[in-house]
Amino acid sequence: MFAYIVRRLGMMMVVVFGASFMAYNLEAYSSDPLAELQQSTAPNKQYLIERLTRDLMLDVPPPIRYFNWLKGLVAGLWGQFDLGMTRDKHSVAEYIGAAIPTTFRLVIGSTVLAIVIGITIGMVTAIRQYSRFDYSMTFVAFLLFSLPVFWVAVLLKEYLAIQFNDFLLDPHMTWPYIIAFSLFAGLLWASIIGGERRRFYAVFVGVFVGNAILLEVLSLTSWFIQPGLGIAGVAVFGGVIAVAVTQISTGLDDKKALYASLITAGLVVAAYYPLQLVMNDKASLLTVIALFAGVLVAAGAVGYFITKIDRRAIMRTAMLTGFLAMIPVVVDRFMQEFGAYYKSDAINGRPIPTMGQANQLLTPEQAHNFWINSLDGFTHVFLPTVALTLISFAGYVRFSRGSLLEVLNMDYIRTARAKGLTERTVIVRHALRNAMLPLTTILVNDFAGVIGGAIITESIFGWKGMGSLFNQAIGSYDLNLFMGVFIISSFLTVLANLVADLLFGVMDPRIRIRK
Amino acid sequence: MKATRIVRAVAGVAISGLTIAGLSVAAVAPAGAAARSTVVMMETSALTSLNGGTPDTNLVTNTDVGYLTGMGFIYYDNKPNLIRNTKFGHFEVVKKTATDFQVKYTVNKGQVWSDGTPIDAVDLLLSHVLSSGKYSIAAGLGDPSVSTAAFDSVGYGGTYDGHVVGTPVLSADKMSLTIKYDSFQPEWEILGPGPSPVHTLELLAAGKTKLGTAKENLAAKAAFLKDFTTKNTAQLKKIGAIWSKSFNIKTVDSSTNPLLLVCNGAFKVASAVADQSVTMVLNPKYNSGPAMTKTNPITKVIFSFIADGSPSYQALRNGDIDIYDGQPDAAGVAQLKAIRSATVYGGVSMTYEHVDLRVGAANGDKTEYTGPFAGDTQKAKDLRHAFLLALPRGDILDSQVKPFNPSGVVMNSHFTLPGQTGYSTIVAGSGVSEYTTGTQAERTAKALALVKKYYPTASATVQPVDIKFLFKGSQRRIDENKLIAAEEAKAGFNVSTTPNAAWSSNLSNVSYDLAMFAWAPSSVSQTGTNANFQTDGGNNHSGWGNAELDKILHSLEAYLTPAQITAKYLAAEKIVNANYYTLPLYQWPTTIAANTALKGIKSAPLTPNVVWNFWEWHY
Repeated sequence: MFAYIVRRLGMMMVVVFGASFMAYNLEAYSSDPLAELQQSTAPNKQYLIERLTRDLMLDVPPPIRYFNWLKGLVAGLWGQFDLGMTRDKHSVAEYIGAAIPTTFRLVIGSTVLAIVIGITIGMVTAIRQYSRFDYSMTFVAFLLFSLPVFWVAVLLKEYLAIQFNDFLLDPHMTWPYIIAFSLFAGLLWASIIGGERRRFYAVFVGVFVGNAILLEVLSLTSWFIQPGLGIAGVAVFGGVIAVAVTQISTGLDDKKALYASLITAGLVVAAYYPLQLVMNDKASLLTVIALFAGVLVAAGAVGYFITKIDRRAIMRTAMLTGFLAMIPVVVDRFMQEFGAYYKSDAINGRPIPTMGQANQLLTPEQAHNFWINSLDGFTHVFLPTVALTLISFAGYVRFSRGSLLEVLNMDYIRTARAKGLTERTVIVRHALRNAMLPLTTILVNDFAGVIGGAIITESIFGWKGMGSLFNQAIGSYDLNLFMGVFIISSFLTVLANLVADLLFGVMDPRIRIRK
Repeated sequence: MKATRIVRAVAGVAISGLTIAGLSVAAVAPAGAAARSTVVMMETSALTSLNGGTPDTNLVTNTDVGYLTGMGFIYYDNKPNLIRNTKFGHFEVVKKTATDFQVKYTVNKGQVWSDGTPIDAVDLLLSHVLSSGKYSIAAGLGDPSVSTAAFDSVGYGGTYDGHVVGTPVLSADKMSLTIKYDSFQPEWEILGPGPSPVHTLELLAAGKTKLGTAKENLAAKAAFLKDFTTKNTAQLKKIGAIWSKSFNIKTVDSSTNPLLLVCNGAFKVASAVADQSVTMVLNPKYNSGPAMTKTNPITKVIFSFIADGSPSYQALRNGDIDIYDGQPDAAGVAQLKAIRSATVYGGVSMTYEHVDLRVGAANGDKTEYTGPFAGDTQKAKDLRHAFLLALPRGDILDSQVKPFNPSGVVMNSHFTLPGQTGYSTIVAGSGVSEYTTGTQAERTAKALALVKKYYPTASATVQPVDIKFLFKGSQRRIDENKLIAAEEAKAGFNVSTTPNAAWSSNLSNVSYDLAMFAWAPSSVSQTGTNANFQTDGGNNHSGWGNAELDKILHSLEAYLTPAQITAKYLAAEKIVNANYYTLPLYQWPTTIAANTALKGIKSAPLTPNVVWNFWEWHY
């Protein structure tokens, strides 16, 4: 094992070295840092050209100049790691150090969302193979898969930012919109729930009417600019979450689990008003984390005391319910802040921005208020997250669908069914876990790709992460910066490959890593 | 079973509609319509330094911030005329002989830096350090032409450096500074010094992290004067390192050393978020330049960094930015015009596109040029003449300028821009009219006739003359090259269509017969074009050389009236045109779009472009 890792690391070095040498020379030969100066008519043009030539060592051929750059990297071995300076005289390491967290903020949400939504939909389509839902999701997945992100971003900005902000000026949804949204919701739920024709239409009509009434009520109450869930909303969400979690985790037949979940959800609802006092203007991220931790402890206790049989599974169910049921409470708290945020000078009635990471016009009080500050961060990260999620989740849908279908056709699944296990147990306990195995590889690689940045998305939304740094490096012929970004992302990619291989060996007992 | 179905249906309704209507029913009034006083302007690159005076930081965003936070003796308006800022001070020629030319700069009394320290002529001395290589060498700060000097300034090696004599002389009251040159300098007005808060540099060099008291500031200023006059190498090196490096910050917040932010402009930097934005607020002590307009003036300016193109159009449309200042394509201009809440201001830039024909090897180049345009033989001249005749300048204007600026015109003078003094006189008499009269088809026919004299087989379908064309692979140049190649083909020229990414290092490469690029002047200057046409001129890459032309150009380096200048330009242009060296094409169009509520926006052709009159902006 150890020898294997050492050998792989050695190969990795060779690959990274070769790739960086090629990248350096390609970039150096394709760029012309003097071009801008040549257009100048300044009297001291000659001085400026000479100085730049000296500064960037332009009189040294790139293949030789490369080793000058490599020197700083090799010096890392004895702790004097040096990626050099950018052309605007900042250290490359400083640039990258600032860019990685930005990229993380931008892509981590969308990557997690894409994985969760993608795998969920993929699994559901596999279970409901060749159903209406399967066909429509396959269509949607291929459609989104083929969309270029810059176009998706333009559309999202147009509809979810510009037009939504315009809509908020008079937040009353007109009937054509209400009907269209309700039709969509009805079709979606009817095809997910499925069943024979009569049931399909029943669900469709139910959802359609319910949804239409809901939207009209929301419009009439100006809910869109003064949103909130209230204790009633929290209660409804809590109940639904309790039932859904129990169904997936242990099955609804396990009455003890169902009661534990419902009691936990009830506790969260009961704590709604006291919690409002805790989540005051002085609250911070720590407060929220503490609240979630508290809920987990309470839910664990509920599960512990309600039964002695199968305690672990029931505790797990209750804790998951508690965690999820707490989310509407926190979301409700953010919503309460929205009205004031929306009306403040900084927002001026246009809460969804198309660019940037934070609103620079917030007053210091607003910027120091955890709720407003987070809300502002959320409105800024909203569009890029949606854009990235949309274009990337389709891949997971297709992959997990295929993977689960393959597992479901295996002999041991048939055996499990023949034993008389419930369908829930067969799928959740036996099929899902094995279907997840091949997904590990792409997950690990995707996370490495995340650091490489989303070049186009970052530029479009004005985020200075690794992607737009790369863009800037190419645009301004900044070789040191270019190589800095390149070396970090190529190193991570190669490393992720190694990690994925090792992880596979750990998780799949059929694979053994040889010495 | 029934129960589960109901549960599922309820869940469906709850999640599909955004959520259940809660307790909050309160109606909300539309957002308050208080008068705005903030301008958010887009910049395509991030702030990298508060000092735009080094070669590495001399970038648009940095210098725009510098313009808002600093004021000196002069600025350019949108004509572009050089305007003297009499609020700050005045300057005049005090001596003018053949070998002694002196200009005296006087700072008005009563002006202060943002920390309250009075501004005087001592604050002008740093300019000399930043522009005179001779001073740098004499003070032991390094020779900028050999290696990077202590002050890594963008100002060395220019006209000032070449002609200044000795060090500038302070008056007894320290409010005036006299600079001496070895001869008359046509550009003397733009060579003048600008103020720098030298006391803060001394305090920074002493390791201070807080603003000084009034007494400390005055002592620091006196210390700088002493260091400057005695050429205190050690201390000046320290200050140089600070000037060159300490201002390279991207983040400004409460932990930033306030000494770095001292300025005399209308605005001062209040905060900056790295790679996101920089926020400037009014400087309450500002009295160094034009006063802010009285009604609803701007009190806060934010530069927000966003890529050009659809991101910035949509940001303008959504109200995320108030001013768009980029280089849109034709579709982009249409998008900007479609924004109901914004107004588009078209304009022209000083940067202009031109085509240069090679006559010989560039000055100092050993290899010889042997292409079709080589030398001064009648054949070479006729071919150059033919090529210029068939240059479809009108078509290029239609495709590259008209979509942006319907009133754009083909540029017809080498020394002046359309609208400048003397332009029409020069165009009428320089002989350029043969490229403007008649239709392009007629001119191309004339060109074909000229080519036929030497290549009888030439026709609209047979192109015996191979021309290698140097241009950059940008969309603009590729489009222009296509138009040119198509039209020149009708005159018998076979023009190459492969762009060269490294065009700038190939400008003197004799394997190319012609080059197309842009000149981007940063000032209006009497002799600024000389380097393009002089036999040994630094910008003369095409081997042009004419003794008579050199003589006229040399005579421009004297004190002349506008009429005399025009006459000399005309004489020079006649020679240039008679030798068929080059033709200008057009000035780059500029497009600014701004929130319609924001008034006073005027596009300007020179840097700092749109921000030049920020004091006139108001809502």
